[in-house]
Amino acid sequence: MALVEIIELRKTYNGASTPVEALRGIDLSIEEREFVALMGASGCGKSTLLSILGALNVPSFGRVLVDTIDVYTLDVERRADFRREYLGFVFQQLYLVPFLTAAENVMLPLAAAGVPNTRQRDMAMTALERMGLGGKGARLPRDLSGGEQQRVAIARAVVNEPPLILADEPTGCLDSQTGRGIMDLFLRLRDDGLTIFMVTHDRGIAGYADRLVAMRDGTLAAAGSTCANVGSSTRHRPP
Amino acid sequence: MQLRDIAWESLKRRRGRFAFIVTALMLGVGTVVALVSLSRAMQADVSDELDRFGANIIITPKSRALDLAYGGVAVGGLTVDVQDLNTEDATLIRTIPNKRNISAVAPKVVGTTEIDGKRALVIGARFDQEPGIKSWWQIDGRFARGGDEALLGTEAAQNLGKHSGETLALGGRQLRVAGVIAPTGSIDDQAVFVDLGLAQRVLGKPGKVSLIEVSALCRGCPIEDIVSQISAALPHARVAPIRQAVAAREQAVRQLTRFTYAVSFVVLLVGTLVVMTTMMSSVTERTQEIGILRAVGFRQAHVARVILLETVVINVAGGLLGWVAGSIGARLLGPALAQLSSPIPLDPGLLVLAVVIATLVGVTGGAYAAARAARMDPAEALRHM
Repeated sequence: MALVEIIELRKTYNGASTPVEALRGIDLSIEEREFVALMGASGCGKSTLLSILGALNVPSFGRVLVDTIDVYTLDVERRADFRREYLGFVFQQLYLVPFLTAAENVMLPLAAAGVPNTRQRDMAMTALERMGLGGKGARLPRDLSGGEQQRVAIARAVVNEPPLILADEPTGCLDSQTGRGIMDLFLRLRDDGLTIFMVTHDRGIAGYADRLVAMRDGTLAAAGSTCANVGSSTRHRPP
Repeated sequence: MQLRDIAWESLKRRRGRFAFIVTALMLGVGTVVALVSLSRAMQADVSDELDRFGANIIITPKSRALDLAYGGVAVGGLTVDVQDLNTEDATLIRTIPNKRNISAVAPKVVGTTEIDGKRALVIGARFDQEPGIKSWWQIDGRFARGGDEALLGTEAAQNLGKHSGETLALGGRQLRVAGVIAPTGSIDDQAVFVDLGLAQRVLGKPGKVSLIEVSALCRGCPIEDIVSQISAALPHARVAPIRQAVAAREQAVRQLTRFTYAVSFVVLLVGTLVVMTTMMSSVTERTQEIGILRAVGFRQAHVARVILLETVVINVAGGLLGWVAGSIGARLLGPALAQLSSPIPLDPGLLVLAVVIATLVGVTGGAYAAARAARMDPAEALRHM
């Protein structure tokens, strides 16, 4: 069953002299528990597509349905609620609030949802332990390595158990070994039942996904499975 | 973690910037508190001065005067329906609802008689009340105390050739001159002040009084209230406030209050702009952080509440410190700047005013920043690296 349906999606930005068409009619379906990688050159519209799928950027035309919810029929505050309940974001830049500890950063979606403090702390510690950061919840981001900070961001993305994880170049600022560790985490999350949509320009990283979608000049250029068999994370690990 | 925790952590993180706003607010609110304290103290001081000036209500017999004229030529006047005042009326004045505001009631009987063979203006007065009415009198000698003493105006003393300590004869009694009043420029200079009872007897007006002077310590209560209460107690009397004293007091208070409001308005306007500018700058600096909050599901209202919470904490702190600084400043500088006779007391009521003002300034200044933060496009905010 499709968790995400993107229908005839278009986005035009007002350029300095002429309008710029970032998306030119995208149709895409993502199944539940599917790990999809979107590849493409810089400026081809990957990040625009991700931000529209993330209820952060209103499309010029078309629809985005997540779990049958037509996202852009919601008002701006309901879209914030939608992001909190359905989405987890992982960015290339280590978007952590610098004056909050790792645990407090993980608690942010729970704070927005009004979850009681004790339960917030328990859920955050569980998410951090799941990412292998059990003893580092009290540390500030500046006291963590890049890989650890990205794992804190992933813990924050999954702490409220959303069905869909959106990742924008999640290994972009990490060394290759740390990047592979992050991809292993993604595969585990997929195996735990989450759906992942990841934007990357790294073919090696894209190889971890169940399906690779290529993008060129605002359109989907090609689509297909990166592996013949879908199901086991170990089978999808590239050599 | 709740929204207030995020606001608190943010405040701790940006101590330097927020200390700047607190200092600006402290100076602004402190200036307002100092001005209001000074203004209030000066009002009180002016009131005290005017109250010390003496009687501010005069009570005379009510009468109906008829002006007679024929063909545009005045042919004199006629006073009818005069009902004399008497000694008991002075006692009734002490029974009005605002009796605690009455500091002195001085009945007087006025007439002329022979003293040592010379015609003199005699004023019968109660010597226990007169000091409260004529506090500015400077006396060579001392104030008269009893029925066998007299006070002389400076011209009366010259006319009678009497000095302090000498005696004069009145109504078959020898009165000792307790003191001579220094020139006042008023009718008092020509008068011989003696005991009320003695004067009533000598002047042939037993139990009667010509007028009653009242000194009402009326700080914080309208003099008109006391006038109307006395009028109700003495329906046969004409009760009039001394308008000049009241008008002067009101004018002084009005000018002080206007000045305080004008300066306070300018100071608070500047304070609001400082808070607005600093909070706007803070919001711009926090674009990425706001983008993160919005991306993880914070509503616009949540973001606005975090910014406003920070603003309120800063402003309450600024208000408290402003009250302390303003109160201390007024206390230290007030006597020198305003030449006040007494130190300015700490006014806890101004603390509430200071905090309310600071919070209003903060919310006004911070509201735009909070609205801008809330309306920030999260996708745009996250690109702001």
